[in-house]
Amino acid sequence: MKKIVISALMLLFALSGSLYAQERTITGKVTDASDGSPLPGVNIAVVGTSQGTITDLDGNYSLKVPDNNASISFSFLGYETKTVKVGSQTVINVALNTSDVALDDVVVTALGIKREKKALTYSAEDVKGDELTKVKDANPMNSLSGKVAGLTINRSAAGTGGSVKVLLRGNSSTTNNQPLYVIDGMPMLNYSPNQQNDVWGSTDGQGDGGDGISMINPDDIESITVLKGASASVLYGSQGANGVILITTKSGKAGKTRIDFSSNFTIDKVAYLPEFQSEYGSDPGALYSWGAKKSSPDFINDFYQTGQTFINAITLTGGNEKSTTYLSYANTKTIGIIPENDLVKHNLNLRQTTKFFDDKLKVDANIILTSQTIHNKPTAGLYFNPLTGLYLFPRGEDFQYYKDNFELFDPVRNIMAQQWPVDKDYEQNPYWAIYRNPSEDNNLRAIASITLGWTVTDWLSIQARGNVNKAYNSFDKKIYATTQGTLSHSTGRYILSKTEDTQLYADLIATINKSFNEDLSFSANIGTSITDYTLGDKTYHDSGIAGGLTFTNEFFLQNFVASPSMTMYQSMAQRKQVQSVFASASLGYKNMLYLDLSGRNDWSSTLAFTDNYSYFYPSIGLTGILTEMLSFPEAINFAKVRVSYAQVGNDVPSFETNILATSSTSGSLVAPNRTVLTTLEPEQQKSWEIGTDWKFFNNKLGFDFSWYKTNTTNQYFLISAPPSSGYTYYSVNAGDIENKGIEFSIYATVLQSGNFSWNTSLNFARNKNTVISLHEDLGGEYPLTPTSVNNYTFYIAEGEPFGQIRGKVIKRDEQGRIVVDANGNPIANSNVLEPVGNPEPDFTSGWSNTLTYKNLTLYFLIDGRFGGEVMSITEAMLDEHGVSQRSADARNNGGVDIAAVYEDGTPVSGKLDAEAYYTAVGGRDGFTGEYVYDATNVRLREFSLGYNFKLANSNVFKALNLSFIARNLFFIYKKAPYDPDISLSTGNGLQGVDVFAIPTTRSFGLNLKVSF
Amino acid sequence: MKNIKILALLMLIGLGTACTKNFEDINTDPYGITKESLKQDYNIVGALYKPMLMNIYTYDPVWVFQLQQNLLGDVYSGYMMIPTPFRGNSNNTTYDLVDGWNGFPWSVAYTNIMNNALTIKSRAEEDLPNFYAWSLIIKVEAMHRVSDMFGPIVYSHFGENPTSAAYDSQKEAYDNFFKDLDFAVETLADYTDNTAFSNFDISTYGGDVTQWIKFANSLRLRLAIRISNVDPAKAQVEAEKAINNSFGLIESNDENFVIDAGLLHPLSTINSAWNDIRMGAPMESILKGYNDQRIEQYFLKSADYPDDYKGIRNGIDIQTKDTYDGFSKLGPVIETTKVQLMTAAEVSFLRAEGALRGWNMGGTAQSFYENGIRLSFNQYGIGGVDAYIADNTSTAADYIDPNNSANNVTGAGLSQVTIAWNNADDNETKLEKIITQKWIAMYPDGQEAWSEFRRTGYPKLFTVMVNNSGGKISTEEFIRRVNLPASEYETNNAETLKAVETLKGPDTGGTRLWWDLGYNQW
Repeated sequence: MKKIVISALMLLFALSGSLYAQERTITGKVTDASDGSPLPGVNIAVVGTSQGTITDLDGNYSLKVPDNNASISFSFLGYETKTVKVGSQTVINVALNTSDVALDDVVVTALGIKREKKALTYSAEDVKGDELTKVKDANPMNSLSGKVAGLTINRSAAGTGGSVKVLLRGNSSTTNNQPLYVIDGMPMLNYSPNQQNDVWGSTDGQGDGGDGISMINPDDIESITVLKGASASVLYGSQGANGVILITTKSGKAGKTRIDFSSNFTIDKVAYLPEFQSEYGSDPGALYSWGAKKSSPDFINDFYQTGQTFINAITLTGGNEKSTTYLSYANTKTIGIIPENDLVKHNLNLRQTTKFFDDKLKVDANIILTSQTIHNKPTAGLYFNPLTGLYLFPRGEDFQYYKDNFELFDPVRNIMAQQWPVDKDYEQNPYWAIYRNPSEDNNLRAIASITLGWTVTDWLSIQARGNVNKAYNSFDKKIYATTQGTLSHSTGRYILSKTEDTQLYADLIATINKSFNEDLSFSANIGTSITDYTLGDKTYHDSGIAGGLTFTNEFFLQNFVASPSMTMYQSMAQRKQVQSVFASASLGYKNMLYLDLSGRNDWSSTLAFTDNYSYFYPSIGLTGILTEMLSFPEAINFAKVRVSYAQVGNDVPSFETNILATSSTSGSLVAPNRTVLTTLEPEQQKSWEIGTDWKFFNNKLGFDFSWYKTNTTNQYFLISAPPSSGYTYYSVNAGDIENKGIEFSIYATVLQSGNFSWNTSLNFARNKNTVISLHEDLGGEYPLTPTSVNNYTFYIAEGEPFGQIRGKVIKRDEQGRIVVDANGNPIANSNVLEPVGNPEPDFTSGWSNTLTYKNLTLYFLIDGRFGGEVMSITEAMLDEHGVSQRSADARNNGGVDIAAVYEDGTPVSGKLDAEAYYTAVGGRDGFTGEYVYDATNVRLREFSLGYNFKLANSNVFKALNLSFIARNLFFIYKKAPYDPDISLSTGNGLQGVDVFAIPTTRSFGLNLKVSF
Repeated sequence: MKNIKILALLMLIGLGTACTKNFEDINTDPYGITKESLKQDYNIVGALYKPMLMNIYTYDPVWVFQLQQNLLGDVYSGYMMIPTPFRGNSNNTTYDLVDGWNGFPWSVAYTNIMNNALTIKSRAEEDLPNFYAWSLIIKVEAMHRVSDMFGPIVYSHFGENPTSAAYDSQKEAYDNFFKDLDFAVETLADYTDNTAFSNFDISTYGGDVTQWIKFANSLRLRLAIRISNVDPAKAQVEAEKAINNSFGLIESNDENFVIDAGLLHPLSTINSAWNDIRMGAPMESILKGYNDQRIEQYFLKSADYPDDYKGIRNGIDIQTKDTYDGFSKLGPVIETTKVQLMTAAEVSFLRAEGALRGWNMGGTAQSFYENGIRLSFNQYGIGGVDAYIADNTSTAADYIDPNNSANNVTGAGLSQVTIAWNNADDNETKLEKIITQKWIAMYPDGQEAWSEFRRTGYPKLFTVMVNNSGGKISTEEFIRRVNLPASEYETNNAETLKAVETLKGPDTGGTRLWWDLGYNQW
């Protein structure tokens, strides 16, 4: 402690100026030995003294040395330190070689600023690009699963091309919990339209609308840095409140032209289907399979096909010291496990970096283009889903007949008509659903960005940047006549929806890097930015269920029957502009103490019409490198502690302060459904973070630990108004949601001897979430998925963790026996839905291992989530329909063997009738609380075995690597009858419930990488 | 150093241009309609009528109508029955009142009727009193239907506070209905030549103020008759006020109150596309027993029994949809874009009942009764009305359920009244004839028919076979009302509990409404 005080005093003295006067000056330039590019920020010290300096942005330096005997050392993170004897030289140019060991000690932080990891006052985790492409997934985010402590990923049920739900340190907001994606320092558009929020699914067949991140080519990613806390992301403002995922893309390298080619082929096999019965049939014409014994062949496995994914990517880089180019193209083709589902994606990335005016001005321009077409993107929920008909098909009927004859000629109407044994709103012939309700999703995205960097002086540089993100999405669905009456008019139905998203970003940042003397360094950023969004600008046409088409089965707009019952509208999800000024400063003392201060002020258009558009928020952080302050045993080569505090403000949704009426296709004025009760204010998030990092045995073993606490207050809530008020909602600010947790990761080189090495890393995160308070008018709870006729709702409630699944529960006596009425039907415990689980895990953990022997590398990742619950409407409906194996077992056993009592307490003798029990308990509107499962699962998520061919003698190839890869190979532990990590929606509602989602697949494949 | 100054200048320019003056424009939904814009063509008031008129009996979305009325009054009136065993056949029809469904008749009325009426009041009460008066008639027409389902409603205190709402007891609500009609009729009397409504009126009145006054008078008569058992004195005053108004009442079929929103009748979709509604057993029994030709307009012959009409008894045990969906569909009367909410026939039957009670209705009970039947036949262009009126032998026919004989209703279970008027009959028999004929004439508006059944006990309907109310509703006494929506308890608890105090019993389907005494007071 004393030492720190002295250090602090010295720090003050040091400010008074230079203490040295009579030396001569050496100048020079430090460059990267590999490509000759200048290295800024290199530490230069006169050995044996405390004199030193750092290089400027062009790698130039000047340093006073005492005499010719002096030696100068050049050190820079990620490079090998070099020491040079001065002698008589006045100019010393040095080229540093990169060192593989220490490369991960520089991280990209907010706004693209590179910093030494040891100086950070918050937690930032890095994942290198090759870790993402080792077992490649078409969506790079899926490859992060299990690799970062405190990050959970749920894939949407839409399969490839669907969005992902990424959650950092738990849920905190009732409106949005997704992190901000930043690409090369600038925010990326990741707006994800059309998230379902209803068990029915969608009556227009439009599912998950995809997101921006799934459109990035994994091969273009140099590295991903995950900034988990608000301290790290405060410079991004409110968008960064849920954490930031910083993506650094590859840029060209000076030197010889290099071509990399990678080819990836995987096959996907359906795994973890529900268990179906094949012993009992259905009564003729009946919806349910509760008839006599009649065996039926398996048709469900036959329905699914082997999915195939081909990803081919080629990159070309080259250039000289003035100018470099990076060009890549990737092509992804996926054939889904459901027939007629496929995806084609093209990614093109061109990046040009050029220096002008004696390298004073650096221009970096980048264009990323992605186009994606998905045919028949799978949807979850009951409507338009081929899996409902497939799974619920009345057993004993001939499925093969309905497969071969999904449509037959109907002479009455002179059309091909759907064939299916039952008439039920949520069931269709699955082949009809895929061939005669086809959908087409088209996405076109472009990100164009330019960065101008201007080195003003050796300590000052200015950077101006801008980017345009544009996304065009279209959805087209053709619904042929004789589709289920709930979903179509008798002449058919056509839906065409087009959405445009635009985001414009620009910033101007001045960076100051100054070493006052060898003990005290100072760096600061001052900047301003503007972001302008127009999201979900939608044009929607739907001929509707009552209106229909003029000429049957012709799908274009002018064929709509012009009636008020068709749906046609334009809408905009978000429109806003945020203007900001921000500043941050970092003071370093003797490489042992770092103090960070930052502040940002935002002006948001969504607060227009209120008294104040402006809100400010600060952060502060302090890091101490213990190993620099105190002496430690030799085994400990690095130790640091850090603490930080940050506030982030968040604006309110667009248009909420100015709610207008609109007009409907049926020609009437639609009055606003909500009213603004109070003057809306920005949300506030306050977070504390404390952490420590230790490294032992020359970095062979290390661990990081973080503790954090985040409180999100003053949230925007739409509260259900009494229906008798005439409004559906009113909006207020209120609430306090707290996330507390720890994150821990440990990494080690277990073995390194000769040809063999074994590296392992383990991460662990636990987040405890508590909804401390909500608005008083909410009565202690708030629906994220509101009550409907289906017995699933998703709530947040005071005193409980964020997100409660609620269902209908059977009444039980104190001995746990179910209570039934006189007819033997179970009685509900309550006439309202009760909390039955929370989908968030108690803790998550990932364990990755890389074993290398000569040229052979074995890699595997085991990923586990512990705790949490999920509900299965699928299983409930399978029981109700008598198609589950459970229902057959009960029938074989002469009834459901469950301890039951009558209302007066007398035990029921014998077993409960299987049909009566399961038709009462099962179903989407049955006792859904009985279909809740422990979500704990541990799986072998990724596996690869690769061989690096040594091609030193080849004139053509520089490197060649071939690997066998596998994903989701098996579960080590799992209780739910399906993969509980699949999420129906990547929005806030509809979590932890499965409604006929496509099953998880097990994938195997080959990956080939070649460099020329 | 110079560079730094330039930089500082640039930064300042950067900040200076960061202006927030466009923020209000940016934060205005481009697809919304501002009040300023609505002033054009008087839409600021006029545009609010269409959503009101389209939601007394909701056209769109159809499933909302299904929950608003089709699964309630349309079934409880005996007009119709569902072939579909919703919720494992435990639903409204078997007296398991589904909160998730029954909140709709309530919320539809408040979001579409009361909300727009309040906006009209704020914009028109002073400057455009005719528009304000017009909105009151629509409000009374819509809200008495809601009160007749639930009892107490939020009416006179509506809009006072967005987070809670105080109720009127049903008695208070009816007092306010009469007052609102007073104001409307008095005000509109000065505007009979004004055509300002015509741009906004989607009823067949097309903005004719005189027709709206006649409808208001007829509505007053309907409400007066509704309270004739519980408050005979006030009922007589209001009924005679209606008759004595110089503009008169609805007397011919071209004066019927009919809304035409240009959308298909919602029953058509439920009947044909969804196959979720069929003929009710009492309709089959009475129309067939009376050899009533209106049956061809009201229903189609059964798909399962092609030569015959077949209705489904209310609240029976249904295992699968295919058991009963081959019974009679609803007929041509719903294959239209028009929704009929009050007919000249109904008004004539109301006057018949008033006359029977000894009020001055401008004629005798018999003349109005027979005129009511004639008007109804005339409405559908059906001949043979004289023979029908003279029929003094036909009574309701036996109801046979070919799928399940336990559902049969024969003999003493059926009404014994005939069609022909007989002055020697006692008042109960005469009333039964009037209400039975009114019930036939008012088809397919089950909401009104159910209210009149509850008030008078006529026509004689069939009890449910499956009662899942858990003892809350007596099978023999039929369902009397719908409990207040769960959403009111959740969001407006204190006021809702106060409202429940005004009921004659617990907030269940078994408690009689204020105007429902369980007997007819003579």
